[in-house]
Amino acid sequence: MFLNNLRLVNFRNYKELNVAFSHSINVLIGNNAQGKTNLLEAIYFLSMGRSHRDSNDRDLINWSAKSAVISGEIESRTARYPLEVRIEKGGKRVLVNHLTENRLSDYIGNLNTVLFAPEDLELVKGSPGVRRKFIDSEFAQMSSNYLFNLLQYRNALKDRNAYLKNIKWVANSPKFDETYLSVLDDQLIKFGSAIILQRFSLIQTLEAYAREVHLAISKIEELKLCYITFPTVNEQSSQEEISEIFKKQLLKNRNRELFLKSTSVGPHHDDLKFLINGKEVGSFASQGQQRTTALSIRLAEIEMMKFETGEYPILLLDDVLSELDGKRQTQLLDFIQDKVQTFLTTASLSDIDKGLIKDPKIYHVKDGVLIND
Amino acid sequence: MQYPDAIAKLIESYSKLPGIGRKTATRLAFYTLGMSEEDVSNFSESLKASKSDLTFCQVCGFITSKSDNPCVICSDPSRDQSKIFVVEDSQDEMAIESTHDYHGLYHVLNGVLSPMAGRGPEDINVSSLITRLSDHPEVKEVIIGLNASTEGEATTLYLGRLIKPAGIKVTRLALGLSMGTNVNYADQLTLTQAVNGRTEI
Repeated sequence: MFLNNLRLVNFRNYKELNVAFSHSINVLIGNNAQGKTNLLEAIYFLSMGRSHRDSNDRDLINWSAKSAVISGEIESRTARYPLEVRIEKGGKRVLVNHLTENRLSDYIGNLNTVLFAPEDLELVKGSPGVRRKFIDSEFAQMSSNYLFNLLQYRNALKDRNAYLKNIKWVANSPKFDETYLSVLDDQLIKFGSAIILQRFSLIQTLEAYAREVHLAISKIEELKLCYITFPTVNEQSSQEEISEIFKKQLLKNRNRELFLKSTSVGPHHDDLKFLINGKEVGSFASQGQQRTTALSIRLAEIEMMKFETGEYPILLLDDVLSELDGKRQTQLLDFIQDKVQTFLTTASLSDIDKGLIKDPKIYHVKDGVLIND
Repeated sequence: MQYPDAIAKLIESYSKLPGIGRKTATRLAFYTLGMSEEDVSNFSESLKASKSDLTFCQVCGFITSKSDNPCVICSDPSRDQSKIFVVEDSQDEMAIESTHDYHGLYHVLNGVLSPMAGRGPEDINVSSLITRLSDHPEVKEVIIGLNASTEGEATTLYLGRLIKPAGIKVTRLALGLSMGTNVNYADQLTLTQAVNGRTEI
């Protein structure tokens, strides 16, 4: 999938922009605060109908204007068509081939992108919540069954927590309906065990791709992904075994939960661990290794999307190369060269060995204007 | 410029109804002004009667007039006394009744378990169902017909666990394809349910 050209009107610091892109690697060079990331943001917005960094669409419109437009021509294996997003103060409209799409969910998928931004380092360094959010959003895109189980689990969890919260204590002992709590437990277990089972198998798929990418970039390092859930559960456990263990844990923690008034065990407390050559990345790896790991996960996403949709998505790399050494840069570029249309930003060209990129298209970004090199 | 008191209050009252905003309420209020004296007084009397003449049946929880308590179905001896159909509210009971296929008794919970909405087992009509079952050993089957939602599911499981140990048969409505549906239009979840609940022919 390729983005042939892009037109921006009053988007962030771009008053008016018309630019054609190369199908291989597009390099955006500029000092800080010139609009490099804004351009990636525009492409991401065209793809997802929302920004990756700002939840308020209104902030995307240039100060002096009332509305903003992002549009571009998409070239896929089978067709060419324009996409357009119009952002107004009151809301946004998305158009495919000049026709308004009423539902954003129908619009998404016309342009697939994968973005790697500096914040992605959080995936490795951040709290388990960041990683759970990542696996949930990734897997929900890949399996609608996973999404269903996830939503049901969240409801069951909310219900159970609400019930625990409402339990009154009389004379130092909680007054609650044993039967009802066991029903709430069982609902939690039913969807929770399904989620755990699916996460094991989906993480295996992700790992297979990520390991290959990571090896290609680092040449010597072996990346492993480890799903952390109940200690006695592993990838061979059946759903019945997981349910059994889940149930035992709930019973074991019953008194504590009654006291704390919330559910203390389950897949909503699970985590994902990254290991390089057997050592945990979060605590033992260098900054560069951590970045490579996060990058490998994102690039694995590219391969998975290719498998799902039959086409490579567009890759957006925000300020990634400066943190990788020369070797890793070369291998990263080798990996994406000739198959994925890439947009990458950098503060100066000295960060990148120009010779590495075959036929790069270089743009200098200065104060909302793009100059083709 | 404000509306006269009487019409302002009428607009205020109409806008308390579900799905009615200020504009629609205003339109309805002005329409009421144009209605005949008789229609308006019938209307207001029906409104009042809905509060003063109605109550929940002391046996099954169905909505009934104060003069008919227990309700018509509960006091009908020709009904099959061995079956009790459990529903969420009176509207659901009317829906089952309109099939003319079921001739047993009913029990209306007037709500389902929902901790999020602050409704626990003591807030719905469950304890009266349990007393009813222990007072009437002739009941052989309890049919649970609650909505296929998370709350409905939890309530169904809960009732099953309460009633089954007493040796009473507990059944629930079938889940799966609705009549006239194309198989390829049904969503994944419905299909999964339909496959799991398949029946032999």
